[in-house]
Parts: sequence; structure tokens; C-alpha cells
Amino acid sequence: MADERTVTELESFLADRADALMRTAVLLAGSRDAGQDLLQTALERIVPRWPRLDGDPEAYLRRVLYNLAADGFRRRGRLQRKLLLLRPLTEPSADPTAEVDLRDALVRLMLQLPARQRAVLVLRFWEQLSEAESAAVLGWPEGTVKSATARGLQRLRELAAGWQPAADHREPELAQARLRGQLA
Amino acid sequence: MNTDLEELLRGGMGRFTAEVTAPGGLAAAAVRQHRRRVAMRATAVGGGIAAATAVALLLTGVTGGNVRATSPEQARDVVYVTRRVENALSGQNLVAVERTSTRGNSMTTWTYGNYYNWVQYNPTTDYSWVADGKRQWSFPEADAGKPATATGTAMVDGQLYGAYVTYNNDRYSLSPMGKSDLPTSACSTGARLEMGGNPVPGVSWSQFINATLRCGTASVTGHVRINGEQTTQITGKPVTVRLSPGYAKAVREKWATVRWSMYVNPKTYLPVRMYGSTQTYGGKAGNQISRGTTDVSWLQPTPANIAKALVTIPPGFQLYTGSPASQ
Repeated sequence: MADERTVTELESFLADRADALMRTAVLLAGSRDAGQDLLQTALERIVPRWPRLDGDPEAYLRRVLYNLAADGFRRRGRLQRKLLLLRPLTEPSADPTAEVDLRDALVRLMLQLPARQRAVLVLRFWEQLSEAESAAVLGWPEGTVKSATARGLQRLRELAAGWQPAADHREPELAQARLRGQLA
Repeated sequence: MNTDLEELLRGGMGRFTAEVTAPGGLAAAAVRQHRRRVAMRATAVGGGIAAATAVALLLTGVTGGNVRATSPEQARDVVYVTRRVENALSGQNLVAVERTSTRGNSMTTWTYGNYYNWVQYNPTTDYSWVADGKRQWSFPEADAGKPATATGTAMVDGQLYGAYVTYNNDRYSLSPMGKSDLPTSACSTGARLEMGGNPVPGVSWSQFINATLRCGTASVTGHVRINGEQTTQITGKPVTVRLSPGYAKAVREKWATVRWSMYVNPKTYLPVRMYGSTQTYGGKAGNQISRGTTDVSWLQPTPANIAKALVTIPPGFQLYTGSPASQ
């Protein structure tokens, strides 16, 4: 049956690429669960087109993934996004340096950005695509990608300006205090 | 400086996703979910506008209008029936079980007061149809006849919620009980369109019969034996509407005509069988008619029967907090 062939072919494709796609989806959606839902939704979108897909299926799937994300997949509430600030992103790091903390903080801050800016930053700095390539994935004019990147980075800089490396375990409390300040 | 920020961000992304791996079965789940949506769309088209709009009609508190009948005989029938219906209002305390079958699909609804549990089943036989020039297949045989979704009310921690369960991916979602924005008049076009699909949970049938007979959108059309019992046939006036642009595009049609009839027990004046049909036409999809038959049983409100009017969340199912459309 057509569906069984699609499952077999999709499984074969995902055997190699699923983890990479999942990582991208997690970055776009902000959490593992939301990322899985996003990837699942993108896969569901390509199922009916799979038998007719010409060329690179991963490129097509990524385009669906990014466009779903840029369109505000799951339209996560503003407060819910902010709550991510309070959650450690990884297990406590063995690396005590401030730079590592800043890396984590930057990702937390990135997850606060609007979906379109977040999608562009993931494309540009995670996938390391050029502005032209990013524009092709999203189906946007190159200028739009350029301005969204600039706005995203600018916003990150502003958010990061208030960031102080946590010298002790008070970071959640500091983030909580910052969150209260932003919500007020 | 920019480069520093970009490098740090990239490093952060790497750390954030370092432990992330994809779960197994993504492809099969995507195909299953796609198939479910296609089948649901087919059901929506097959079930007429009622299923497409997915609304519930709550007719409690409907007040009848003036009696409008075309002949003295019909007027007598209407008065007789509406009186009997008013006397049958005690039937509202019963648990209603509605079993509906349409071409290739079936559903069961248990209703008691403001509780309801509407279960849609996967088709009992594998079948296919052509959409967009491509043959689409329904569910595989293993899923045939099993529940696909349950929609209704659920009691969680002593509180009543709206509930939606999808069995293909072991998920459920809850929503607060809100005020209905559905047609409140049984005589409205919206209410009449609902009759072309599967019966809507929560309808007070005796009040529906009473109101539609009084306002003339239905009439008594005869007496028919069903399952060896004499019943009174009530037939609604056909209603035709132009489809909204979005829906018209989705189903590639322009018009819809809904017809319905029901057979009521002459003692209780509660329906025992209902027929509804929705005909769509005027577009590229051609003339399409879907028909549904619903058999209704009325049961005593025992705790066991009332419990069946509530959606049960199966053990191990995950609470889904995204939009119902993507559940």
C-alpha cells in the first residue's frame, strides 16, 4: 500500500537525519517536547507529497520546519516563553567559567525572541547558512532575513546586557527578579 | 564583537541540543496522523456541514413559537404531538445512547444532562478514495473499528472539563467548560443544518421536536413501524444554503441542502431513529450526498450509564497542551 511504502522510505531517510532535524526543531521550538511536536507536524506535512518529491527531501523538510516555526508553531504564550528563563537548559555544567554560563544564557534569551527572529538566528548561526540561503529556505526576500537577523542580534545584545554571570547558585533567583521586572 | 556574540550563541545552541536525539517511530506516526486527518476530512465532508463546523447544539430552554401548519389536519397533528412531547419531558432524565452510521464510518454518543461522550471510530473496512487526483487510503486493518477520537466532557479532580482524546497517538487535552456559542433556536438555519450530520450531543430532543413543529420547520408526516413498534414520523423542511467561501473551496462545492426526518416513540415522544442527509453540489466535486442513520436508546440513569456519558482518559495517555488542531 502507498502508505507503507512512504513509511519505509521516510524511516530510511530519518535513520540518518532524524537526530539533526530533531536538534534543529528543539532550537526552533524551545523545548524537547515542543520540538518533537514541531518535527512531527513537519513530517506529517510532507507525507502526502513524499511520493512526488523531487530532489533533496531534507531541504524540503527543513523548509517546512522553519516555516512552521516562523509562523509561530504552537503560538507559545509570552509568559510561557519567559518561564524558560527559570529552567536550567542543561544539567549543571562542569565548566564553571562565565563564558559557558553566557552561552546558556544567550540561548535562553534567544528563546524569548519572536518566532521569525529565532528561526533566522537558528538558520544563520546554527545551520551556518548565508543570508541568501536562509532567504531561500524561508521563502523571504534576502533583505527581510538581513533585517530579522540584525534585530534578533540587537535584541540579544540588549537582553544580554543585563546578564551577570552567576557566581553562585542564585541564577534562578536573579532570573526570577529580572522576569518580574520585565513583567511589571 | 558581533562575531563573539554569534560564536557564543552557536556554542550555546550546541550545548542546548547536545543530548537531544530523535525518538523512534516518527515516520509511522506522521503517516498515521496524516491518514487520520484525511479520514476526518472525509468524515467531515461525508457528515455534512455539522461535522465540518464541529459545533454542538444545545437547545435547552427553547421556547416554541406560534403553530404554523398548512392544513387543519396537520395543525391537529402538531397540537397533539407537541402536547405529548411536553408530557414526555421527564424523558430528559434518561441517558441517551445514539449510534450513528454513515458510509464507512460510525460513532456513538452517550448523553446525560450536560455530560456527553462522542466517540468516532475508525472505518470498519479499509477503503480508498481519490482526492486531488491521488488515491488516498483509510486506516490499516489493524485499526479498523477501534476508537479514533473521543470528544465530550470529563470529570477531573471533581471538576467538569471539555475533553478531547486522540487514540492514535495516546494524547488528550482538556479545556474549561465554556458558554456555548451555538444556535439557541431549533428553528434557526444553523440548527436545521446540524440535522444533516450526525446528531449533536446535548440536544434536548423533546424540546427540539416541540419547537420545530411549532415554528413550521418540521411536520408530522406519518406513522411507521420500526423494529416492530409503531412510531410517528416527523420530517424537517429541507434547507439550502450557499457554502461559505473557505468551506466551499475545501469541498469544491457551492451549495448544500440538508434533509432530515426522525421517528419518535408514540408513548414517550423521544426519538428512536433519525435520518439526516447533506447534499452538496454546484462545484467541481459534483453532486455528493452523505447520509447518516442514528438509532437512539434511552437508558435509566444508573451510575454505570451516567459514567459512560463522560470521556474516560485511558491510563498512560499524555496531556497535550498545544492547539487541538495539531493534537
